Amino acid sequence: MEGVLAALAAAFMIELSNVSKIYPPNAAALKGISLQIERGECVFVTGASGAGKTTLLKLLCCEEEPSEGQIFINGKDLIGLNNRGVARLRQQMGLLFQEFKFLPHMTALDNVALAGLVIGAPRRESYNKAYRLLRELGLQKKCNAKPPALSGGEQQRIAIARALINDPMVVLADEPTENLDAELAEETMRLFLKSRERGTTIMVASHDLDFSQRYRARVISLHQGCLVDDSNPATKKGGTG
Amino acid sequence: MAIVLFVFGAFLLAQENLQNLLKKWGDQIQINAYLDKDLGAAEVSLLRDKIQNFSEVEHVRHISRQQAWKDFQAVLGAQSNVLEGLPEDVLPASFEIFIKPAYRDGPIVEAFANRLRKEKGFTTVEYPQEWVDRLSLMVLAVRWLMWALTAILFVAVFFIVRSTVRLAILARKDEIKVMRWIGAPEQLIQAPFVVEGMLQGLIGAGLSVLGLWFSLRFLRDQTPASIGLFGSLDRLQFIDWGSIALILAIGSLLGASGSVFSLRRFMRTWRG
Repeated sequence: MEGVLAALAAAFMIELSNVSKIYPPNAAALKGISLQIERGECVFVTGASGAGKTTLLKLLCCEEEPSEGQIFINGKDLIGLNNRGVARLRQQMGLLFQEFKFLPHMTALDNVALAGLVIGAPRRESYNKAYRLLRELGLQKKCNAKPPALSGGEQQRIAIARALINDPMVVLADEPTENLDAELAEETMRLFLKSRERGTTIMVASHDLDFSQRYRARVISLHQGCLVDDSNPATKKGGTG
Repeated sequence: MAIVLFVFGAFLLAQENLQNLLKKWGDQIQINAYLDKDLGAAEVSLLRDKIQNFSEVEHVRHISRQQAWKDFQAVLGAQSNVLEGLPEDVLPASFEIFIKPAYRDGPIVEAFANRLRKEKGFTTVEYPQEWVDRLSLMVLAVRWLMWALTAILFVAVFFIVRSTVRLAILARKDEIKVMRWIGAPEQLIQAPFVVEGMLQGLIGAGLSVLGLWFSLRFLRDQTPASIGLFGSLDRLQFIDWGSIALILAIGSLLGASGSVFSLRRFMRTWRG
């Protein structure tokens, strides 16, 4: 059975099979979610606060473990993945969450380049790419600033640059445009879609339904931990809602 | 850790000096084998060569009758007049047989003395058995004490380092989380902590060696020139380069291993 699931999962970049997440003592953040996302697909996950969007993304990057069900990324079962496996997975992912997680004593440029350096990319290449991304995001004058000295929007753009520096297999972005003005939000999405052209699978969590509809992408709606709508008719609906 | 390594170094210092002292005492261990009066000079020479070739023997000194007489007179000093009237060849000739350090152990010396007793040409073979036994016991006691204390100290140092590193890890928990977030391999995350632990160990060990050196100097300056059995403190030697290197290596190793153990535990329990 496991072998069959793994073989099926390899056909998709992301597959969740009956995934639930219950926080102690008994708070269900996700209930029986099953979905498949193809390679190079761009998916918006929408829902009100507390719908389970962030939890879903956390499960996909192994920051949390599901209470039930199976998750596959590029055919790899995430259940019981050890630290080394998690590190390898994250090296292939671009992560952008509401908590940016920077090294405060390093400059913006260093923080972005570091993500390239840890996967073994050459130093010059990492720094060149980091600078190019920061320039595209309008931060060329802030390269030498340290994150705590920057505004929320600027920090968000550093995190976006860091998420994209390694041309990741999957980008998981939680409210990536929340702190940005309309112009920068467009630029961010343009960068995401550009990476999609290289085959990157993108999953964006956003409570802004209009924003997601503007890009005519697949939209998965969550409500109180249940999958209530999936604009892709081929995908099964899960949960009780 | 510097304090613990200081204690360890002090113990090494004491042990080295004590062993030097024991070696000096051990050098005095000799077997006296008294020669048969009827042996001619050629036979004595042959017997001496034979004894000299035994693996236990460091060297053999032949004491002729005349020499024995002179030595006895010298020992008696002012009272040597009590010997007046006695013939000068009253004392037997003998061999003073000195044992190699590796064989200065009670049962070995005893077995060797028994072998000598079976040799033709000796009338009596004797040695200070009680003294040899005590010396062997002291060497053994010092050795065991060293191992026991070393083990206790190592365990103490290990736990001290582990606690220190744990605090350092907690202080840099956020940094570790960021590194994991961007997919840094475990080795890359752990390396700075291991290097830090190693450097802390090395510095602690270096401080302990310095402290030890100053303590020895202070001890030499502040204590009387002679303290009985142990002779002059000026003769106390500082630990040799090998022991200094050992302390530094132990410090570094314990620092690094303490880091690795603490990190492993923390890394296992953290997710995210």
